[in-house]
Amino acid sequence: MASHLYGWLAVACYAAAEAAAIRILVAPRERAAWLPPALVVVGLALHFRDLLVRARALGSVPYRTLGGSVSLFGWMLGVAFLLLVLRHRERAIGPFLIPFVILTTGIGLVLPDSTSAPAEGTHGSLFALHVTLAILAYAAFTFSFVLSLLYLVQDRQLRHRATGVLFARLPALEVIGRLNRTSVRIGLATLAVSLAFGLMEARLLWSSLSDPKIAWAVVTVLVYGFLLWMERRGWEGPRVAILSIVGFGVVMFSYTVVNVYLSAAHRFR
Amino acid sequence: MTTAGEARLLLLGWNFRTAALSVRERVAFSGDEVREALDRIRREGLVSESVIVSTCNRSEIYGVSEETRAGEGLTRCISEWRGLDFSEAAAGSFFREGADAARHLFRVASGLESLALGESEVLGQVRSALRVAREAGATRAVLHRLFETAVAAGKRVRTETEIARHPLSIPSIGFELATKVFGQLEERTVLVLGAGETGTLFAEQAAAAGVRDIRLANRGFERADGLSRRLGGRPVPWENLARTLPEADVVVGTTASPTPVVSRSDVEAAMHERRGRPMFFLDLAMPRDFEAGVAELYNVYVFGLDDLGAVAEENRRRRSREIPLAETILEEELERFLAWFGNLAVVPTLNALRARLAALRDAELERLPADERERFRAFADAIAARLLHEPLRRLKSESDASRKLDRVEAVRHLFDLDS
Repeated sequence: MASHLYGWLAVACYAAAEAAAIRILVAPRERAAWLPPALVVVGLALHFRDLLVRARALGSVPYRTLGGSVSLFGWMLGVAFLLLVLRHRERAIGPFLIPFVILTTGIGLVLPDSTSAPAEGTHGSLFALHVTLAILAYAAFTFSFVLSLLYLVQDRQLRHRATGVLFARLPALEVIGRLNRTSVRIGLATLAVSLAFGLMEARLLWSSLSDPKIAWAVVTVLVYGFLLWMERRGWEGPRVAILSIVGFGVVMFSYTVVNVYLSAAHRFR
Repeated sequence: MTTAGEARLLLLGWNFRTAALSVRERVAFSGDEVREALDRIRREGLVSESVIVSTCNRSEIYGVSEETRAGEGLTRCISEWRGLDFSEAAAGSFFREGADAARHLFRVASGLESLALGESEVLGQVRSALRVAREAGATRAVLHRLFETAVAAGKRVRTETEIARHPLSIPSIGFELATKVFGQLEERTVLVLGAGETGTLFAEQAAAAGVRDIRLANRGFERADGLSRRLGGRPVPWENLARTLPEADVVVGTTASPTPVVSRSDVEAAMHERRGRPMFFLDLAMPRDFEAGVAELYNVYVFGLDDLGAVAEENRRRRSREIPLAETILEEELERFLAWFGNLAVVPTLNALRARLAALRDAELERLPADERERFRAFADAIAARLLHEPLRRLKSESDASRKLDRVEAVRHLFDLDS
């Protein structure tokens, strides 16, 4: 595989965005507020170029290799970050979310790209959409998890009257709650569509749909669906944050334990 | 660099650091008194320009003068007018000259000399002082430029540092904390319990924060009604308090009740009706207006007077940490002002004017044949010297320092000597 020059340039852009975001958080400057999202956009463009190189080498969206899939996950985190910033115009979250983009992109660049032949049926646009949307859903749920932690931290600071620098810099509870809601909506919508595409593909390829990965994806949809339903019924506050964290626990379990140990059908290498 | 010819900037002042309240009250000037003071100072002939900044914590007279004992003369003038013993007035005063006077004004405009560090009101007061002096015909180029620069410096300090960002007043801090729960407060409902002095302050702060739905509950309905009319709020009969509670996002307790007026069960019922939406309580009453158990309820946040006091102290520290950065900005602005002021000196201006004319002459001579240039050079020099002789003589011999500065500045502007 290539040296990932564009990938590392993207990491540099994300790191610069993080540095700018921290600087703005410590010493708010309204005129510089556009800088971190702009640097993330540049980083995403360079990152996309790197993914394109990988895709050409593999002949498909680069989720078949460990390095490629983690890098794609990092790119999706960047996209989810931009969606949140554009939707809510809240810049104080940058320093807490951008590190995940940097970390996953960097790991994706150093992990090896396997060269084994793709499993049967793991090609075609339906399959590509299924996997790509699932990765976007995981990215959105990751941010929901981080935002929920921030919510609990801010809630705790308010309860203990800890009005220090972090308290002053973190957004209002209501704002973090709204950002979390948007993240969950993005994640839930994309996971539901991904699941639908996956089921369509599986019906063609498999004799049975009794795969643990499918079951856990349904559990994930149910947990986050319940969360949004309860929010519509007036649920607010730390309970929502805690349920979001539980939801992310399910996602992580599905992504790791289920993928590695329980679902033979979802190990596409 | 702090003088233009013999003219000096000077400042005579009394403030909360130097003078007792009894002295400050005597030298404090109302709007009309400022005009009268400017007029008296001018008639004394001690200064050629003057501006007076008079706020609740300071009275400061800025001037431009060639007199070496102008400070003493000003003190005598003010003490005689205000019926104050000269030695008492002098003991409580402070005097600055040149760059120190300018620096002090910049610090005042930035809120660095205020009792509440970084407060914003003083910037408007400095601006207003200049306007009053200008309308009274007491300012010319120097103080006009000095005050304009001071206002610009004050604005820079407020936008480029956090010196004005963290609130210091208890009502401001209370609502700032509420924004940490709700974000914007405009669309929220604020219920103030008690219409006494503290209740009125908080209701006014809520109105200033843009809250559209302000409710006021007081045992005496008339008082709540009167305050509501003034602030555009809604009075709540005391007996309807429990019914109003679920509609309130922020509740401020300021009553003098010897027992809590809102119980845990009241808030529990309100939270049930609100389906768990958050509530924020500010308890400014002594003894407390909200039962201790209220703070333990889900999604309920309670801050008391001690908590707000601690935040005020912390905010004061945060503002203090911005002082070095603010001073750096002020020194930049001061340097710019002093460079301009230094340039107003007559000799550098004359030299610059001569150099400009020589450059123009040489440019014109370039267009002539080489053999004719020397002849025309002498001719051009003679014309320039005769043309400038009288204006420059008058400029040099001008006895009024400020008028001299005005004219020097006019020459610099007309001949574009600063480009």
